Amino acid sequence: MKEENIKFSLRTRLGAGFTRIATSFAEESAKAFGMAQPEALKLTLACEEIFMYLSKVGQDRETVEIEMMDGGYYVQSTFLFKTHHFNPRAFNLTAAVNLDDKSSLEEMGLLIASRTVDRFHITEGAQQSVGVVLIKEKSYPELTELGVPEIEPMNTYKVKTSDPNTLKLFIRLLLAYYPGHLYPTGFRFPGKVLDMASSGEYGVQLALDEQGRIGGGLIWRRIGSKAVESFGPYIFNQPPDSKMAQDLTDAIIGKVAKTEAIGLISRYSTPELPRGYFEPLGSIDIFQTDGTVSSLPIYYRQLLEDTGCQVWAHPGLKEFLQAEYSRLFFAREIRLTRYEGEQRSPYSVFVPQFDRSNRQVTLRAIWDGADAADNLSRHVAVLRSENVRNIFFEIDLSASWQANLTETLLGKGFRPRLILPYGGEADVVIFQFEETADSHV
Amino acid sequence: MFDVSFDKLVPEYVKRFEPYIPSKPDLELMKLYGCDLLYRLNNNENPFGPPPAAQEILRRFNPPRAAIYPSGDSYYLRHKLASKHGLDPEQFLIGNGANEVIAFVIKAFCQEGDNIVTADKTFSVYEWVAQFSGFEARLVPLKDFAFDKQGMLDQINERTKILFVCNPNNPTGTYWDEIKLRRFLNVIANRQIVVLDEAYFEFVEQADYPDGIKLLHEYPNLVVFRTFSKMYGLAGLRIGYLVGNLEVVDVIRRTCVVYSVNIVGQEAALLALDDEGHIQRTRNLVRAEKAYLKQELERLGLEIQIGEGCYIMVKLPMSDTLAYRKLMGHGVMVRSMTGFRYPNWIRVSINTHEAMEAFVDALSKILS
Repeated sequence: MKEENIKFSLRTRLGAGFTRIATSFAEESAKAFGMAQPEALKLTLACEEIFMYLSKVGQDRETVEIEMMDGGYYVQSTFLFKTHHFNPRAFNLTAAVNLDDKSSLEEMGLLIASRTVDRFHITEGAQQSVGVVLIKEKSYPELTELGVPEIEPMNTYKVKTSDPNTLKLFIRLLLAYYPGHLYPTGFRFPGKVLDMASSGEYGVQLALDEQGRIGGGLIWRRIGSKAVESFGPYIFNQPPDSKMAQDLTDAIIGKVAKTEAIGLISRYSTPELPRGYFEPLGSIDIFQTDGTVSSLPIYYRQLLEDTGCQVWAHPGLKEFLQAEYSRLFFAREIRLTRYEGEQRSPYSVFVPQFDRSNRQVTLRAIWDGADAADNLSRHVAVLRSENVRNIFFEIDLSASWQANLTETLLGKGFRPRLILPYGGEADVVIFQFEETADSHV
Repeated sequence: MFDVSFDKLVPEYVKRFEPYIPSKPDLELMKLYGCDLLYRLNNNENPFGPPPAAQEILRRFNPPRAAIYPSGDSYYLRHKLASKHGLDPEQFLIGNGANEVIAFVIKAFCQEGDNIVTADKTFSVYEWVAQFSGFEARLVPLKDFAFDKQGMLDQINERTKILFVCNPNNPTGTYWDEIKLRRFLNVIANRQIVVLDEAYFEFVEQADYPDGIKLLHEYPNLVVFRTFSKMYGLAGLRIGYLVGNLEVVDVIRRTCVVYSVNIVGQEAALLALDDEGHIQRTRNLVRAEKAYLKQELERLGLEIQIGEGCYIMVKLPMSDTLAYRKLMGHGVMVRSMTGFRYPNWIRVSINTHEAMEAFVDALSKILS
């Protein structure tokens, strides 16, 4: 069970005269949470920019609530406010400041804030309330030395939760035994993995013999409220008939089966993934640096009996969804939706999640806007100019406005590849940008 | 969504607990999965329904009586049970299903810092009620599909208040014989409450299977659960009970919600108890259909676990939750066992021969 994170909160009036209060609160909180000075200052700068922006666009006597949270390996700063003038377009990767445009200059603070932190998102609440969440990760050294002990095949072992030192050794073994595309980039930072495990974000089960030697292991983490993602199983030098991978998989299913998670997703599966435990959802194409294309399979296991759900879908996606739901035996009521001239915010915001080692990025929409098509084109152009060849876009079918983006995605050269059941609030569809679709951009 | 004051009202142990989402109604599931007929093989229900006399109670129920409160403590039913078992009516507490009496016992004996001990792969409600009430549930792995006596004893500490033993175990059908149960109770030596959940008592025909109620006079810390939901076919009316030593039940009564058992349930249960023929008919069906399933599932080359009770377990060469969805497409609803920590196993309730044939047919299709 994940322990509750420590949080501090401050409610203050907006205005230049209160800036020091807000920044001191942010900085001292970050330091208290164990963040090193450089990262704490970067997060403080981001908070200052958000506060100053809100002070400029906010109305007289308006207040903001700032919440600082210790996430273990990161510090999260949340601004909760009501506004009539919040324009989040500067949060886009593609945003730039026009020095001749006053409103653009006002948004410079948001742009600085978004570039200073590692992740962010924006949420809309009731009565025009908005939440801006900034996340700055602590800094960790990357593992460079891969000296690992030799692993002997094990006759007997037990699957256990790992202690910190054994976990670090497991990560070193994992990096030594498996190629980079079979684990997330973050695993190259054992200290971060350890902190993520300590904070409950990662769960780890290891197969250990009586002397405490490691035969293999499996890592998992929550993604969203309804899914768990597993990494592995990673097995070191064990005989082909070993049941270690199955025992590790049984152990993690036992750990997550009685949580609120509905599904278990495996995007970084190894050849040792036990047969009969997962369902193949499909695959995505990964363009390698040498010009070859490899197919990356994605697997899934439902943890609960599926009682079906409703999903929103644009008519352009209906056929794909029907075929996939039929193939995967998922009961879904598809509700069609499309834009029909209703008013939209002028600007959309897309958030990228990079996996630079695989030259891969996944975009998600966090704010709907009428410029979605142009914004998407700008994102694709920037990413391609940075030689990112694997561009994905995920939409959550729980939200009609996200389903409505289908028309834009199809029109800009994206193709639906597969469904992640319950990958978000409802099912998530992964679109992949077709490399040959230059004309669309 | 930004008002944090409500969040501050919620105890941490409630925040950590995940709600159980029951299945949708049959009609909704049939619509979603596109099937015209649904065989319910997921909840261990009796295909015969309630005994005939109890069914007559339902038919004759005079609707205006629904305006009248039932007996608050199921007076007549307690007296009937007492007479049947030769005990005092005050030794019985009737609940809105056996689930409710689980909550009565935990609330009566546990306080902050206490724990309960049970198995990891058994009826989940002991674990759930303890956890959402803020108490630790110490879970002991099953050994060869059965409750591990020594494993449970090893988990007892100074804060252990209750040990739950499901006998026979749901879902594995294994049971402790009288010798094993007595040894366990002797070691406990009245230091903790031992709950013996006998929800499937009436299905067991083995000579060495113990009757917990007969042991009450020797072990005052013993509390026995029985239900009318399984053998007596009254699951829809929600009625079950506990029986124990007078002193123990007097404590439990303090946490017992009165008036929670409806009038129809009380009256139907009263008459159901008299029908020995219903029990025999049901046992005959369960015995015959288990034999049929054993033969057919072995023919399919599947590992099976058949014990006591009106259910069996089958291990599949695929994810049990995928099998659930595929079987639903054929109009057969089973219980997937991932939630019981038995990945790739399903539990199948024994039902009519027609339903069993439908299950075997559907299973053959999805495995081919």
